[in-house]
Amino acid sequence: MAYLYKQIKTKFFEYIPLFLLFFVALNGNSVIDFKILSINVHYILIYFWVLRKPQALGYGLIFLSGIITDVVFGLPMGISSLALLTIAATATYVRVVTVRISLANDWISFIPALLLANFVYFISLYLSNYSIDYLYLFKNSVFTFIFYPIFWGMFTLLLNLMKN
Amino acid sequence: MDTSREDVGILIRSAFLKRDTKQRFSLFVLVILAITLVFIETIDTKPLNYFRSLVKDSIYRGSEIISYPAKSLDDSLKFFKEHFTLYKNYKLVKQENENLKNKIFETDYLVMENNQLRRLIDDQVASYSNLVSSRVMLDKQSPYLNSFIINSGANKEIKKGLAVLDGKNFIGRIVDVNFFSSRVLLVTDLNSKIPVVIEKSGHHAILSGQGSKNPTLEFLPENHKVQENDKVYTSGKGGIFTSGIPIGKVVFKDRQARVNLYSDISQITYVNIKLEDVIQKK
Repeated sequence: MAYLYKQIKTKFFEYIPLFLLFFVALNGNSVIDFKILSINVHYILIYFWVLRKPQALGYGLIFLSGIITDVVFGLPMGISSLALLTIAATATYVRVVTVRISLANDWISFIPALLLANFVYFISLYLSNYSIDYLYLFKNSVFTFIFYPIFWGMFTLLLNLMKN
Repeated sequence: MDTSREDVGILIRSAFLKRDTKQRFSLFVLVILAITLVFIETIDTKPLNYFRSLVKDSIYRGSEIISYPAKSLDDSLKFFKEHFTLYKNYKLVKQENENLKNKIFETDYLVMENNQLRRLIDDQVASYSNLVSSRVMLDKQSPYLNSFIINSGANKEIKKGLAVLDGKNFIGRIVDVNFFSSRVLLVTDLNSKIPVVIEKSGHHAILSGQGSKNPTLEFLPENHKVQENDKVYTSGKGGIFTSGIPIGKVVFKDRQARVNLYSDISQITYVNIKLEDVIQKK
C-alpha cells in the first residue's frame, strides 16, 4: 500500500512540469504582464526542466506547446516552437558541458539561451511581416532573466519532492 | 586546438542529434519541422486552409475550457467588487439619469427638426446593415497582437476584412476566419491601419495602432485644424469598410494626435460583425 502511494505521488509530481507546460500554452500565460513587469514563464519552465530533468519534458511536447501558443496568440504556426526549441537546445548543450549544478551557473547560461531564442523570434516575426515592439521585448527579456532565480527555487523544490 | 574543436563537435552532436532514452524526436528534426511549418504558413491553398482551421478551432476550444476556472475566478472577483461599490454607483447612476432625462427633451426636438430638414432636401437615405452578433471566446492579449477570438466563422458567412463593432462603435476587423471561430485584430494593434475621417475639419488620416489603448492619427495634412474632442469615423476610403462608423474622439498626448476610443476594448463580451451594407434610396 505504502509502495503504491509512493508510486502515485512520484508520478503526480513527475507530470506537474508537463501539466504546467500545456496549461501555460493553452491558457495564454506564456508571457505574464503585470504593470511594468513582463516575464516569459514558458522560457523559464523549458530551460529549467530540460537542464535539470530532461525526461520530464519531451522535445516533441515542447514543439507542440509552441504550436498551441502560436495559435492562441495568433502568430504564424511554428514561430514559438522554434524559439522554445532554441531554449531547449541551449539547455541541452549547457547540460552536456556542465559538471557542477548551481543557481549561478544556470542563471548565467540562461543569458545566451534568452538571446538566441529572442533572436530566432525576431527574425521569424520579421520575415512574417509582423510589427515588433522592440522595447517591450527587451523589457520582457530583462525581467525574465531577473525573475529566473524565483522560478528556479520553486522548481528545485518540486524536483526535490520528485526525488523524495 | 584540434582536439578542443573535435570536443565541441562531439558535444554539439550529442546535444542536438542524439535522442535521449525518453525522447522520441531529436532536437534537430523538430527544429527543421518548425522551420518548415513557418514556411508552410505563407502558402495559401484550400486543403492547407482547411487543416489550419481544424487545428485552430480545436486549440481555441481547448483553450476556452482550460481558461474557464481562471475566467470564473475573475468574474467572481468582479462580482464582489461591484457589490462593494453598489451604493456609490447608485448615486452616480441616479445623477446620470437626471441629466439624461433633461437631454431627452432636447433630443426629441432635434430629431423632429432633423426629419423636417431631410424631407426638405429630398435626400432621405435609409441604411440598414446586416449584422451578425458573436461572443468573445478568447481574449488572450499577446505581446505582438492585440486581438481576440469570436465564436463565429465561415459558418456565419464571416470573411476576412469585415468591420467589427462594439454596439455601434468600430473596434477592429476580421483577420483570420476558421470554420467556427475568427480572429479580430483590434484598432490598438501595431499592425492595424484604418482610413478615417475627422469630423468638423473633414481631414482624412490613417488610424494606426501602437499597442497602447490610444491609437495615433497618421498622415494628417500639414497645418491641419484637428482639435481635441473632434469625432473620428471610418472614411470608407479604399473600399475596406463603409464610411461613418464612429470610432472615438481626438485627444492630444505628447503633441501627437491620438484617439480615445468610444469602446473600452478590455471589457468587450459581445461584438457585432458588419457583413455587408445594403443601402436603399427612398
